[in-house]
Amino acid sequence: MLRNLIFYLKLYFKITGQYIKARMQYRTDFLISIIGIIFTNIIGILFLWVLSLSIPSIGKWKIDHLMFLYGFSLLAVTPLQLFFDHIWMLRYRLQEGEFIKYYLKPLNSMFYYISEVFDLKGLGQLGFSIGILIYSSIKIGFEWTFLIVIIFILLLFSASLIMISLMIIAASTAFWITNSYSVLAFVFNFKDFSKYPLSIFNTIFRYFFTFVIPIGFVAFYPTTLLVFPEDINATIILSPFIGIALFILAYSIWKKGMNNWSGTGT
Amino acid sequence: MKIIELEHLSKHFKVLERREGLKGIVKDLFKPRHKIVKAVNGISMDINQGEIVGFVGPNGAGKSTTIKMLSGVLKPTSGNLLINNYLPYKQRKDYVKNIGVVIGNRTMLWWDLAVIESFKLLKEIYQISDEVYKENLELYNKFFNLNALYSTPVRKLSLGQKMLCEIAASFLHNPKLIFLDEPTIGLDVAVKEKVRKLIISLNKIKKTTIILTTHDIGDIEELCQRIILIDHGKLIYDGSIRKFNQIFGAYRTLTLELGNIDEISIENINKEIDEVFKPKEPIILKKKENIWLTLTINQDDIKLMDIFNFLMKKFPVKDIKIEEIELERVIKEVYEGGLK
Repeated sequence: MLRNLIFYLKLYFKITGQYIKARMQYRTDFLISIIGIIFTNIIGILFLWVLSLSIPSIGKWKIDHLMFLYGFSLLAVTPLQLFFDHIWMLRYRLQEGEFIKYYLKPLNSMFYYISEVFDLKGLGQLGFSIGILIYSSIKIGFEWTFLIVIIFILLLFSASLIMISLMIIAASTAFWITNSYSVLAFVFNFKDFSKYPLSIFNTIFRYFFTFVIPIGFVAFYPTTLLVFPEDINATIILSPFIGIALFILAYSIWKKGMNNWSGTGT
Repeated sequence: MKIIELEHLSKHFKVLERREGLKGIVKDLFKPRHKIVKAVNGISMDINQGEIVGFVGPNGAGKSTTIKMLSGVLKPTSGNLLINNYLPYKQRKDYVKNIGVVIGNRTMLWWDLAVIESFKLLKEIYQISDEVYKENLELYNKFFNLNALYSTPVRKLSLGQKMLCEIAASFLHNPKLIFLDEPTIGLDVAVKEKVRKLIISLNKIKKTTIILTTHDIGDIEELCQRIILIDHGKLIYDGSIRKFNQIFGAYRTLTLELGNIDEISIENINKEIDEVFKPKEPIILKKKENIWLTLTINQDDIKLMDIFNFLMKKFPVKDIKIEEIELERVIKEVYEGGLK
């Protein structure tokens, strides 16, 4: 088990190292995509700021809290962006029959598949989200004690896992329906809901985003626990379990899809 | 020693049978009608260690499906399959450590990486020891000068260079069994020759079993000792290439451009040929677009040159073409009892 883990980690670093070296041949592409992702998020923040001019607070949530929520949400989807970006290409790989090669190496198929792409522009997102979190926590007067950091990492891990699992499930539909783009885009857009306090939605949506598509655990519940710990209920404890359970589900759907796929004729 | 054992292997697919028209689309949505397609239908064979076996059949014959089952991608619907003491579908990860796969029109290497970097990754993935890795690279270098290509990214290689690297990569971990799916597709004659030389030398040196699918009779004649013909999911011939060659290798199609042959009667030429050469089997003569005359000749029976000289004297020949027999004709012959 541990030897396996070391083997895969080492291999991932080797593949990714080579991948980054190769991508650096297209430096302009890299710079433009980083600038693009930062620009998109600056607009997101500006929108929050404009909003705060006419609506100074949503319940207890002031602009600085909203920014913290925004930063957490962005940071939570960053692992998806960095490590799992190849997911978007799954439908092409299947349609063109190229997917066959992921059966033919003595590797875990999902590992082999996702290891092929490391999305560099996610680094811009990583830097930006950390910046926002630091800025907003200073404004709030948030104290980063050792315990808080541990809780923060645990919550972030769970949130990332939820988002990754949802996207794997959405992409895996391609094994059956061939073109999974609409499903992928639908699920991916849920991440935008995670940037706002769930309290702005009515009860039905709040239940939906907690129990059906657990997007509330991506940013809202974790941020509430951190900035308004008095308001949180016990559901937050579920967060890591939801993440792990969803990932197990996603992985088994992927496996089932691989067994179901029969390939294109060559 | 047997490496592959197949017994009544079958693969059936459930395919949606689409109905026509708008009404059909709605019906398909709510009450889909399926039909069973028997892509592979009860194939049995044994293959020994070290053999090069040619896997031949027309498009849609079930070759790819069989190869996919043999390489652990697809699960057979029924039948037994044991390769190198593994059940390929069930024990995929362990099984594929001992095989190599090359697919003609796809790449198994990393598109953006230099060839040598791809090789280094394969070394990690297959956990190839330093000695074996070094030994193989030296071998590739000695015989094929591959290190001239090592620093080029895979996507910048020509089709032929890419194929040489793909094949070299598939042998890197000294697998017992290699699947080559149309390795010479799209290559020119000179490069085809190089690829064939690489395959045959590696087979000799390493005693690797090779399963080769191809549409090129030339590949088969040069590489295989044994061929397996498949059509409509069934095995229609399994035997030595010598016997196959005795029957089909001698056939040539001679095409002559004769200018205007409107007035020439095929029956008359046939009669004359029969009288002069007395062939054991009738020669097939055809007119094409009124300027071409084609003859299919068994060289064991009549010398191609004799027929050619004979026709030269009779007609003003403007152009000639000599071709090997087509796979489709071979299969027709097999059905008609040519190999029985």
